[in-house]
Amino acid sequence: MRQRRWTVFALYGILTLASIIWLVPVVTAAMISILPLDQSGTGWWRADLSTATLENYGRAWQQGLSTYTLNSFIISISSVALTVVLGTSAAYAFARMKFRLKGLLYFLLITTMIVPVQIILIPLVPWFRTLNLNEGPAQFLGIALVHTAFGAGWALFMLIGFFSQIPEEVLESARLDGASEFQAFRRIALPLAVPGIVSFIIIDFVFVWNDLLMGLTLLDSNHRPLTVGLANLQAPQLNQDDLISSGSILAIIPPLLLFALLNRYYVRGLYAGAVKG
Amino acid sequence: MTVTKKESMTTTEKVAAPTLKAARTPGTRRRQGRAKITPYLFVGPILLVFAGFYLWPALSTIASSLFTWGMLNPWELGAPSEWDYVGLSNYSSTLSSADFWNAALNSAIWLIVFPVLVLAVSFPLALLVWNARRGSGIFRSIFILPMTISLSAAGIIWSFIYNPDPNKGVLNALLRVVGLEDASFTFGPLEVHAGQWLSNPGILHLGMADVRFANLFVIIPAVWAFAGFGVITFTAGLTSVPSELLDAARVDGAKQSQLVRHVVIPSLRPSIVVVAVVSVIFALRTFDIVLVTTAGGPAKDTEVLAMLLWRQVFQYLDTPQGGLAAAIAVLMSVFMIIISLPYIRATLKEQQ
Repeated sequence: MRQRRWTVFALYGILTLASIIWLVPVVTAAMISILPLDQSGTGWWRADLSTATLENYGRAWQQGLSTYTLNSFIISISSVALTVVLGTSAAYAFARMKFRLKGLLYFLLITTMIVPVQIILIPLVPWFRTLNLNEGPAQFLGIALVHTAFGAGWALFMLIGFFSQIPEEVLESARLDGASEFQAFRRIALPLAVPGIVSFIIIDFVFVWNDLLMGLTLLDSNHRPLTVGLANLQAPQLNQDDLISSGSILAIIPPLLLFALLNRYYVRGLYAGAVKG
Repeated sequence: MTVTKKESMTTTEKVAAPTLKAARTPGTRRRQGRAKITPYLFVGPILLVFAGFYLWPALSTIASSLFTWGMLNPWELGAPSEWDYVGLSNYSSTLSSADFWNAALNSAIWLIVFPVLVLAVSFPLALLVWNARRGSGIFRSIFILPMTISLSAAGIIWSFIYNPDPNKGVLNALLRVVGLEDASFTFGPLEVHAGQWLSNPGILHLGMADVRFANLFVIIPAVWAFAGFGVITFTAGLTSVPSELLDAARVDGAKQSQLVRHVVIPSLRPSIVVVAVVSVIFALRTFDIVLVTTAGGPAKDTEVLAMLLWRQVFQYLDTPQGGLAAAIAVLMSVFMIIISLPYIRATLKEQQ
């Protein structure tokens, strides 16, 4: 009994220590972001907390982060919406239907998960020019299509499992009631796959929101996402830690909120879909 | 009217006119002609996007690696008059360039160290969280939190931690407390400079090659950000560990370590594979975090393949290095497909 108490104590001790270590980077950024530069410059852990202010956020916002943030939202929401709509229906077909070249097509789509993004990056620049996707808001459509092509493999990987678990009798009875294949998909299969779809939305949103390379390469400076804006701020010689830290906290918040809201679904979705033995 | 499976269309482009073809075919088997179109309506849209924005650019990269061109005047299929065919020489000059092997070594360090650290950190954390009955949700959330942070933001946040000024950076403030500020040591071939995290933390002299530790301190923030994926995957996997098996083993007097080795790890194998594969994939792609922490420096100590490629094609616009960059992209992809082939095959088998 006594030994047990010690193991429990040690368990929580280690967990608490690990949690503190885990939080230090975020706490550091958050503290620097709410302190005036002269306070954070002598160690945020010694700073006078009464000087805390949100002024850094206001300045970062005015110095261009507002545009970058808006761009990030446009890119992420349109990419995720497109990928979810197209990916879900494709996953349903791969799970429930027979068609030609299914194995090969599945292989090709799955390789998008594995092959580094660099394989498509370079030709996309002239390709966007050819398709007139290189100017103005059309760039958003272009990058959304690229993110969709890239998300396709993940969508299939995560969603096929959900659709193939649905008992055939359920779909069959819908068909006997006169439902078309599309109606069976929308009314029966789709609601049953919601946990998988939600966890895919989280993963895809986080992935697209956090992309730096494609935004940097394919978009002009007025349409680039927040990740690129942050990387541009990062210039050590300029001593603008206040702006950089508040920018990085801003960049963290949207995916974090989404994750916090949908966390429950995510664990369930991952459990049922991807890692089931 | 029915059709054989063989007779239906081969590519998505034919989606528009499948009925014609179906009508001509003498019927033998299974489904109605109309039903045969349905699958293509479901998969067609994503295949079109995939063909236009993945397959085509990927094939262009492969083709363009056989030509000499620069980003100011990129290789294009429609302009054969401007092609400058060089065969495989982009590959031979890539494979004989010192820059390539420097970047390949750094990428190899990523490929090995990153997945190993991710597993070594997230597996014990997940086990601890699993063992903690009360408060496990809070601990799990804390470990998962960095997962939503972009690698560029993670790199920036960790630059604050790594700040060499002990009045600003937490790590160097700690080093000052224990009196190791600016300390340097040499143990045989190992050279360590305390406190110079991203600039010159140390070197392992191995005769023919020096392993520089700056890479490690770029990898650590990435592990911090990525370990949450491991924790969440293992947590999900742990719920599938059969509790009868655990109880039976406990009744037989198994120790905690034996439980982990003989019961938990075998039933977590699929999760371990997923985490390992995904982190290997991420390791080779890595670009963002290197760009914001070191930009490949000091000198080229932390330059990875993705960064070298990017620099060649977008930084030197006036020199025709596009073909070289394309060759690097092809080499990276071929390597990745080869090492993940067993995994792809397993997934495919499961699919069929």
